[in-house]
Amino acid sequence: MSLPTQIPQSRTSTGERLLEVENLAVSFGRGEKESRAVRGVSFHVAAGETVSLVGESGSGKSVSALSILGLLPYPQAWHPGGSIRFKGRELLNAGDRELRQVRGREITMVFQEPMTSLNPLHSIERQLVEMIQLHQPLTRERARDHAIEMLELVGLPDPARRLNALPHELSGGQRQRVMIAMALANGPDLLIADEPTTAVDVTIQAQILELVARLQQRLGMAVLWITHDLAIVRKISDRIYVMHEGELKETGTPTQIFEQPQHAYTQHLLASQPSGRPRPAPPDAPEIMRADALKVWFPIKAGVLRRTVGHVKAVDGVTVAIREGQTVGVVGESGSGKTTLGLAMLRLTRATDGQVAYLGQDLLALSPSDMRARRAELQAVFQDPYGSLSPRMSVGQIVAEGLRAHDLAADPDERRRLIAEALTEVGLDPDTQDRYPHEFSGGQRQRIAIARALVLRPRFMVLDEPTSALDMSVQAQIVELLRELQLRHALAYLFISHDLKMVRAMAEHIVVMRGGRVVEQGTADQVFDAPREPYTRALMAAAFDLEAVAGDVVST
Amino acid sequence: MSLRRRRATPAEGPKRPRFLFWEVSPLTRRRIDQFRQNRRGFWSLMIFVGIFAGTWLAEGFANDKPLLIELGGQRYYPILERYSERDFGGVFPTQPDYRERYFAQLIDEQGGRMIWPPIRFHHSTIDKLLPPGVSAPAPPSRQHWLGTDEAARDVVARLIYGIRESIVFALVLTLSSSVIGIAAGAVQGYYGGWVDLLFQRLIEVWGAIPFLYVVIIISSLVVPNLLWLIVILLFFTWTSLVGLVRAEFLRVRNFEYVKAARALGVRDRVIIVRHVLPNAMVSTITFLPFIMSGAVVSLTSLDFLGYGLSPEDYARLGELLNQGKNNTQAPWLAFSSFFTIAFMLTLLVFVGEAVRDAFDPRKTLV
Repeated sequence: MSLPTQIPQSRTSTGERLLEVENLAVSFGRGEKESRAVRGVSFHVAAGETVSLVGESGSGKSVSALSILGLLPYPQAWHPGGSIRFKGRELLNAGDRELRQVRGREITMVFQEPMTSLNPLHSIERQLVEMIQLHQPLTRERARDHAIEMLELVGLPDPARRLNALPHELSGGQRQRVMIAMALANGPDLLIADEPTTAVDVTIQAQILELVARLQQRLGMAVLWITHDLAIVRKISDRIYVMHEGELKETGTPTQIFEQPQHAYTQHLLASQPSGRPRPAPPDAPEIMRADALKVWFPIKAGVLRRTVGHVKAVDGVTVAIREGQTVGVVGESGSGKTTLGLAMLRLTRATDGQVAYLGQDLLALSPSDMRARRAELQAVFQDPYGSLSPRMSVGQIVAEGLRAHDLAADPDERRRLIAEALTEVGLDPDTQDRYPHEFSGGQRQRIAIARALVLRPRFMVLDEPTSALDMSVQAQIVELLRELQLRHALAYLFISHDLKMVRAMAEHIVVMRGGRVVEQGTADQVFDAPREPYTRALMAAAFDLEAVAGDVVST
Repeated sequence: MSLRRRRATPAEGPKRPRFLFWEVSPLTRRRIDQFRQNRRGFWSLMIFVGIFAGTWLAEGFANDKPLLIELGGQRYYPILERYSERDFGGVFPTQPDYRERYFAQLIDEQGGRMIWPPIRFHHSTIDKLLPPGVSAPAPPSRQHWLGTDEAARDVVARLIYGIRESIVFALVLTLSSSVIGIAAGAVQGYYGGWVDLLFQRLIEVWGAIPFLYVVIIISSLVVPNLLWLIVILLFFTWTSLVGLVRAEFLRVRNFEYVKAARALGVRDRVIIVRHVLPNAMVSTITFLPFIMSGAVVSLTSLDFLGYGLSPEDYARLGELLNQGKNNTQAPWLAFSSFFTIAFMLTLLVFVGEAVRDAFDPRKTLV
């Protein structure tokens, strides 16, 4: 791999302040409706260094980053004050002409969602070449050569041949690489990375981190990394800024922040990592739920007659058993069939073959009405607390839905009492049952979803990524709540997650899945401390040490 | 265990949102607020509703019968009741023509009194008392504010009644075609597969039939009345919502809260009514004003072509427009009918825009 000639070496000497943000303020709306998203934030980035803005959702970190390039939805968004100087030039409230000079050439951005950041209708060649020709006076052929060099640089296999690929032909990780290639094509001095690894698997996250670090060294650019993930911050940053509710709370090197956090919020953030271990179920606990050689195949149909030409084997012969009071964790990359397994065990998706036994009774053989009667005891909590609650129903109505379906309350008074009990149990004020979901935060919504399941007195629950849409500190609380409820009601959990730290804190038994099959299965201690399979080891390295493993053990 | 015993307390805390008398979900409340914030749309709706309500009193201010006759200490209400000429001391046992000079004299001679509505013409009244030298269509005068049409009928009266009939027609057509459209879309979206495929092809073929010609053929077979016309047009308008509702059903079926409801063991029927249908209603309501203006246009064009209802029995805006085309020497006909129709359609489009904005999730859900 040769260094592309068009990329100038670092334009400023290391140590000089490249970007200086002073007292930045961002507001949305005016007058009574003004909401002050960022209030007086100052930070700077020197040439060649990596600086992180850390914070939970709503902390204003992304808004701060977007104001650098003037990408906020003006005029709803506006700046009551502050200044953003890049190489001595003022960027805040600069004209569009001036900003366009900077955007894509001197400062570039990589966004969170690799699925939507590329135009699905254009080949990656066209998108890359457009980006290059916008800022460099190159002919089409030269620009195309440069595009190939860039793709080679970001490690896309066989770039000359992939140039005509459309975004959907690439995997999520490959798309993120293309995004990075686009961002680096014009040799920027500053790369702003806005949560570029949040939407991808841990294994790909590790690869991306490694890639950016390598390219940064080679090209001598500065990186402003926006993230909520403390592990990433600790690994990559030269300097960290902790943000909370639109204000800067603390600044320091990783050592300072992680070893001696000064501000209460930083301490709270660090303490809220999921911790602890699940309490093991008693050894004589009866088996509640069992799947035997479970298969869920989706037919692939082709041709005029829609004949079945093959199958997508989402779940391909999985055997798993869960005892009373026990948590079985299912881990794996996206597309490994974790969620389908959970849905199939609840008979929410049709199993192709195999058995699902609840207390020894074959669920797949039940008539629909018998199955519906069983559903009270088999419950689920889904990933997205924003999508899983109907915005039209009050909290009381949401929790009551199952009670009504199973006729579990004799009269409205008893129903109200049961709802209040369930809400109290998940840590919500029972008087909130007349309010509506939009008044609650993500964590509170997830508690409502748990109350909705809990009110039916289930014995088995599928928890499908129940924490992955939530902020770090809230995740820990939900894990705590789930463990508490398990202990109190001897619940059996199937805990599905891609977050191995969370699984470590929740599950006693681990199932590692890949491509619909079980790669490795065993107690948490066995799997985490002495993984046998290379795939499991790669997963662990990526999740805990943010290390990418070479070779084709994991997907790219 | 923290199962604190609690009395079931009545709902307290924040006031539940309301609209007029109904309790509504906060989502609906925000949409209503959003609608009211669009002042153009809000006032368009107010004016539209005001005009529509006003036209229901048309008999009271545009009629060829007096509101009240006082005669010999007795009161008569010709608008509400049918009297014979003999009741007023006349000769014939039939209903009198109240507008005749003879009748006015009859009342006058007996010392009686008549109170007339401001416009002394019903939409079907043919004015036989045009001043000498003036022939129909008569130009605007003190009697006929916007003149008369070819048959010496008062234009203002015809506009007032015409607006009422257009709106009633549009409302009935819109509501019935939405009911059929939502039902058909729901079936398609819910069952999917073959049912969906079959229906979709059927609708595509259906949509390719030029409805105007079909209506013209049918109306040459039967003498159309209002009901007939609605039924015929319904055949072609019900498809407008099907695609929308179908798509909405397909989308909402995969929502997490629908999945959650299935996991709770809720019946499919309940899920459709409680979770899926309300979502389909959003796009339906957004579309209604536009479907309505479309219905007004179809009715007007049929009238214009002369295939609608008979102008003797019904006040037709399209028919008046056609007269305007045929009588360019009488511009009041064309202008008055054109501005009336344009005004009505403009109001509907403004209302439609405001409704669309009110249901825009980017404006209300954030």
